[in-house]
Amino acid sequence: MSVLEARNIVKVYGKAEAEGATTALNGIQLSVTKGEFLAIMGPSGSGKTTLLNILSGIDKPTSGEVLLGGVMLHDMDANSLAQFRRKQLGFVFQDFNLLDSLTVKENIMLPMILEKKSVSEMEEKVQELAGLFEIEDILHKYPYHISGGQQQRTAVSRALVNDPQIIYADEPTGNLDSKSSTTIMECLEKVVKELSTTVLLVTHDVFAASYCQRIVFIRDGAIHSSLEKKSERTKFLDEVMEHLTLLGGN
Amino acid sequence: MTFQKIVWKMAKYHYKKYLFYFLCNSAAVLFIFVFMTLYLNEYIVSVKQIEGLVYVLSIPGAALIMFTIFFISYAHQIFMKKRRSEFGLFMTLGMTNRDIAKLLLLENSVIGLVALIVGLGSGVIISRLIFWLLLKSVDITDFAFQLNVNMFTYTVGAFFIVFIISIGQSLYMTMSRNIIDNVKTEKITENTAHKHPAIGGIGVAIVVGSIVGLYVTYTDSDGGEYLLLWALGTFLGLYIALNQLTSFLIGLIKKNKHFYYRKLLYLTSLDYKYKQFTTIMTIVTIMIMVTLLYSTIVYHLYKETEKEVVEQNPYDIGYISTDSKNNLSAEELDRIFAEYGNPIREHLTFPIYFHFQEDYDGYTYQLALMPLSVFNEFSDNPYLVQPNELIYHLNHEVTGEIESLYYRNDLRFSSNGEEVIYETTQVIAEKHFNYLGDLFILHDADLADYKENINGMDATLHLIHVENWQESEAAVLALEHAFHDYNAKTPLLDVDHVPLEEELFYIDSRVDGYESTMNANGISFFVTIFFSILFFIGSFLLLYIQLFSEVDKEEQRIQKLYRIGITSKEVRKLISQEITTLFMLPTLLGLIIALLYIIAMAQDIGGIVENPLMLVRFFMLAGIYFVILTVFMNFARKKMFRDLVDFK
Repeated sequence: MSVLEARNIVKVYGKAEAEGATTALNGIQLSVTKGEFLAIMGPSGSGKTTLLNILSGIDKPTSGEVLLGGVMLHDMDANSLAQFRRKQLGFVFQDFNLLDSLTVKENIMLPMILEKKSVSEMEEKVQELAGLFEIEDILHKYPYHISGGQQQRTAVSRALVNDPQIIYADEPTGNLDSKSSTTIMECLEKVVKELSTTVLLVTHDVFAASYCQRIVFIRDGAIHSSLEKKSERTKFLDEVMEHLTLLGGN
Repeated sequence: MTFQKIVWKMAKYHYKKYLFYFLCNSAAVLFIFVFMTLYLNEYIVSVKQIEGLVYVLSIPGAALIMFTIFFISYAHQIFMKKRRSEFGLFMTLGMTNRDIAKLLLLENSVIGLVALIVGLGSGVIISRLIFWLLLKSVDITDFAFQLNVNMFTYTVGAFFIVFIISIGQSLYMTMSRNIIDNVKTEKITENTAHKHPAIGGIGVAIVVGSIVGLYVTYTDSDGGEYLLLWALGTFLGLYIALNQLTSFLIGLIKKNKHFYYRKLLYLTSLDYKYKQFTTIMTIVTIMIMVTLLYSTIVYHLYKETEKEVVEQNPYDIGYISTDSKNNLSAEELDRIFAEYGNPIREHLTFPIYFHFQEDYDGYTYQLALMPLSVFNEFSDNPYLVQPNELIYHLNHEVTGEIESLYYRNDLRFSSNGEEVIYETTQVIAEKHFNYLGDLFILHDADLADYKENINGMDATLHLIHVENWQESEAAVLALEHAFHDYNAKTPLLDVDHVPLEEELFYIDSRVDGYESTMNANGISFFVTIFFSILFFIGSFLLLYIQLFSEVDKEEQRIQKLYRIGITSKEVRKLISQEITTLFMLPTLLGLIIALLYIIAMAQDIGGIVENPLMLVRFFMLAGIYFVILTVFMNFARKKMFRDLVDFK
């Protein structure tokens, strides 16, 4: 069953007919099924982040449509879209996007607080996620007092707190060392396996992508090819590297 | 491209930072200058020597100076916090300390100089405008806006000193820190040390203690001596309390999890901001408090002038006459007043015996004596005086118990080698007569004796009520002229140590008293309103800078919130709540402290219950303040929405 459907997405910056207009995305077709762990890879400037922004409703396509859980994203007004995002989507960013003035626990709770959930429900959910990602001990600390890996695990917990249909992760390992990257990717793997939540990852980190079940490669704003994991992770990693070489490097 | 060109290009790119810093400095210069145009106005200078204007000017003047110093150094700190990371970057690229110092001095000198010119220029215009507006609303004559060289030199001097100190401090900090610290300047979090609710409790206790102290001690005319001390106590306590306030309150609120989580973003953001801006919040609270306190007191005095003048002058007109001086007939008097459409309603006359003495310093003073029978005719309660006794009539009211102020003013003189003493047995502390000062009331026979032995002057005290004293100015002036003409034709008095005629035969009228009191209170009123306007603009500026200096950080925070799905409506609500609190909390605190001070300071005029009008006037002024502040607050809110929400 498809949870996310992108149909013929085109994004042009500047006026389409005018000189100097840049086509960032050119006819992207994408379908993500429920519980899938998908990575979008591509070199810098290939349109990865633009695609993610459009798929999450942060940006609007010039043409084409995005269906998320059967809902047409770009028919919604800004307010409904914002509410839809916090109920149905979870985000994990490269720079963690945590609020310095809130503790880890409060950061995780924030989307639920915006949803005006009850205290007991929030506390229960935070405990569950903190246990899952092993951050119980730092719940009362502030973001600037914990490591990058811990900050990213906090961000993953926050992304999951409202039981979203899909999690978008934009270069989640970009600011982390290799050990923390492994932990985060294992966390996301857990999200897919244990919570059956769909995860869409945008990265140029081969190591991170190797955790996914499928990788879609984009180049110059269009889908170039895709790879599906049929073997174990390390072998898949080699396949991805090989594919990238064929693609012309990253 | 040279390095200088790169620096210049960066400056152009970050022009907003420079503009902000430049505007703050211009505002500071404007402030100092506007204050100087008042403080060094020749008329104010002359009035300062004779009236209680120094009292009116001292505390707000000191507060204004503190504010300006803080304002300049604060603007400089904000500017430097942003610049220092750039300096760090330049240093990593090989710029030396010397180059940095040169750059820092150069750009600050240019900004300072242009700010000085703009500040002085706008100061002249703004000051003139304030003078014009206020002189139109307050009825003061012979007072006008003026400019003199001192105003400019003092402003330049004051600005220069504070500015140089700020730059020196920044130079030292930039040079003494290592490159990494400079680069990371913007990321260094400012935390409050010593965070404990008990410290906040001590702050609150100091505030309460100082106000109670003021209430207890401000009971007589000496109460004012401790005013500054109590005020300093309140300010110190306020700073300590504000420093701990939000952490303490949030600690309390956290106990109600449901409420705390509902208001999480608002409360935590406020806590963070308060930690950084405690000093500003304290200063703004103090400025609001001082503004409301002083404007209420002075406005109250101004409005009470009429009552005060009526109390000081029980009759509309009072003067003395002798056979040869001021001796116009009753018909002549009637004619003068009738001519001005203000006929005499009542005309009382009392015989008074004056004699004049010279003290060791050669200063002449007069003694006025009245026979008991005459005073008893006038008084409602008949008084009794035995031979060789006297009643000392103070002819003014005394606060407190009269026994404690028992004046022993026995009269004594020698008669045929024997000393005669009239002993004071009673004191009357009431205002009964215009014109007269202290009065001795003697047994009729004793007064006759006294007159035989002591050379003096028989006179008549005239007390007159007219139809309408407020309209009696022209008639009083006409009477003055008539007396002058009359006295010019009569010979000089032949009495020992008699003072100049004009010191004796003047007219003491309500209307003149009203005019002069109105003028004096009017100046105090003018000065206070002048300060209030300055303080108001100042406190708004501080709050405004406080909000917008960190707008970059705020933008990042809002961006983060947008990314996790907060709606524009929710952001607006959040911003609105924060701005309202930042503006209203110091206003409410200032208002409450000012109210408590007014209640305490009303002690020396019989307590606030006796003077309910003072409260009414306080709430009226506070209301006006609130309305204007709300307008400013809405302006800041709209700007914040524009910067953080509407651009989305």
